[in-house]
Amino acid sequence: MSATGPAFHLTDIQGRPRRLWTQSLSWMLFLVGILLYSQFSVARHKENPEDRVIPSGAQLIQGVKSAVLEQPEEDDPLDATATTWQRVSHGMLWRDTVSSSRRFFISLLLLIPAILLGLHMAVFPYAEAFFLRFFLFFDKIVALSLLPILFIVFGIDEWSKIMLMVIGVGPTLMLDTYNIAKSVPREQVVKAFTLQSSSLDVTYRVILKQILPQIINSVRLNLKPLALFLFAGEMIASTDGLAYRIAIMRRHMGMDIIIPYLLWVAALLFAMDALLRFANRRLHPWY
Amino acid sequence: MRSFCPRGILKCKAGKYPRQQSLGRAFAANGALLVALAFLCACCTPGYAAAPTFTVGWSVYAGWNPYFYMARSGILKRWADKYGVVIKVQRFDYAASLDAFVGKNIDACTMTNMEALDMPAAAGVDSTALIVGDYSNGNDAVLARSGLTLAQLPGKRIMLVQKTVSEYLLERAFEVNGLGAQIPRLRLMNTSDSDLVGAFLGDRNNPAAVTWKPLVSQILAQDSGVHSLFDSSKIPGEILDLLVVRTDILERPDGSGVRFAKAIAGAWYETVAQLASGAPAAIAGSAAASGDSVASYKDQLRTTYLFSSPKLAEQFAEGATLRQKMDLVRQFCFRHQLLGQGVQSVDDVAIRYPDGSVQGKTNRVRLRIDATYMQMAAQGKL
Repeated sequence: MSATGPAFHLTDIQGRPRRLWTQSLSWMLFLVGILLYSQFSVARHKENPEDRVIPSGAQLIQGVKSAVLEQPEEDDPLDATATTWQRVSHGMLWRDTVSSSRRFFISLLLLIPAILLGLHMAVFPYAEAFFLRFFLFFDKIVALSLLPILFIVFGIDEWSKIMLMVIGVGPTLMLDTYNIAKSVPREQVVKAFTLQSSSLDVTYRVILKQILPQIINSVRLNLKPLALFLFAGEMIASTDGLAYRIAIMRRHMGMDIIIPYLLWVAALLFAMDALLRFANRRLHPWY
Repeated sequence: MRSFCPRGILKCKAGKYPRQQSLGRAFAANGALLVALAFLCACCTPGYAAAPTFTVGWSVYAGWNPYFYMARSGILKRWADKYGVVIKVQRFDYAASLDAFVGKNIDACTMTNMEALDMPAAAGVDSTALIVGDYSNGNDAVLARSGLTLAQLPGKRIMLVQKTVSEYLLERAFEVNGLGAQIPRLRLMNTSDSDLVGAFLGDRNNPAAVTWKPLVSQILAQDSGVHSLFDSSKIPGEILDLLVVRTDILERPDGSGVRFAKAIAGAWYETVAQLASGAPAAIAGSAAASGDSVASYKDQLRTTYLFSSPKLAEQFAEGATLRQKMDLVRQFCFRHQLLGQGVQSVDDVAIRYPDGSVQGKTNRVRLRIDATYMQMAAQGKL
């Protein structure tokens, strides 16, 4: 007897929702979020038409427009003949995205040595003896509390913010890599040696190669802490960047700019995550 | 395929009755919870039999610390009882207190005239300044290293909390010294106040910073190479510290808002009189509000012009100079888009003065300076 409707499957492990159901269910919470937001917004605007705490749709659209097209006020104004493209590329959102992304990618690059160190710790017993205890301890230090020291060592420009991200996320990534590499069966290493591999062959061609997809997944999980540290650094001392703008806008409740900025950051992180996931699937179809 | 699915087996095993029973039990539990919640709410909601409750938010600053002492010492309670209201005093971080006030989570809040304009007023929350408490008379300062002068600052990095009175002070420093044309060339670095001292002192290449006491004193004490270029004593009466209440609270039909205003004004001037006479308990109590030592707090008080009597405050609020000074502040806010991205004219956020005159569009009054309660205090009518 065939099922009469999807309602019967709701609590059933074996339920197989149809495509239409999967699609519509997956958008449901978005819809609820938007509805709740607009209800709050409408209620607040009924009471106070100029409310800035929960901007209305029109205010948000205006906010997006000025974020994309208007220049940050610290820049020299463009002349009136500027094309739309020029206005976008000199606009707040683009300029802030560029400077924040630069910091983000530099620190991502600096995390590669941390991953390799984790790998070496797992493979070479002397490296393990030397580094492991220290990094287990260092990982537990709340990186934000180190900021005054970072300021003294790296100045208050770019490097203190980049190092905050590296110090905040590096040890976690390193220890995760260590754990993943440790879980590679010992037999494989022995086998590789019987096939006349060198130590480095084993490290890079046997172990790294097979744990790489897991490392990429670990990086994906760490994108958010990375962004968190970037935001913290930019909010504490900076002259540009996405979090800088949010900090400035907070001074006068510019939620009409802040909300689009937050959604933009979320979209960027999502795209980054999707890119890594895609790369992982293409590079390691066997995983 | 479908018949192969083990759903049927599960159904048989689980049976129908047990599930219904458990559902019933869940409903009963929820019902009990609801009743408990409703009871709790009834207890918490003011206005049944209890006196109307008002919450005042304050943040750490020389001119606002007395609110802490006022609540602690029982002065506030005495005045609140006299007017039949309950007044709670709650400490916030400055930015958070403003958020809470604009979000209508608290009824009154301490803030500067600049934030009164660009936070609640610009967000359409009609607000009234009840008490003009003090003005910064040297509390805010522009600091520089190694003998730099104001004229040498453009192009160099200046650390400050942007879009606050610090930036206002910096621009005024340039205007007052005839360097107004240099303002667009300033390179500002937005630095959180919690990290400013460490970041500025950490690197001797940082040329300049703008901040307020006690941070100013900390920097000057720790580095003899730093000197003050300009401070707020050169622009007296421009950086005002106010107690602001939402106008709709003041206009409550049952008159409780007015009673609240009277109570808090009465309590404030009793507290300030103690401070002005140098009562040790008042000074120590206010210093304790920010964890400052008495000596440090006295140092801050020296550069704070506290309106020590309601008479002085009333005169200042009703005087003609206030209008000029507020105009400087509102023009600054407008120039920096602090009144909102879409605001076309500085007059869209209008200010109403005690004499009834309005600065800006008369149909867009958002901030009211109200001398009524200061006047009542001065006349001893509270």
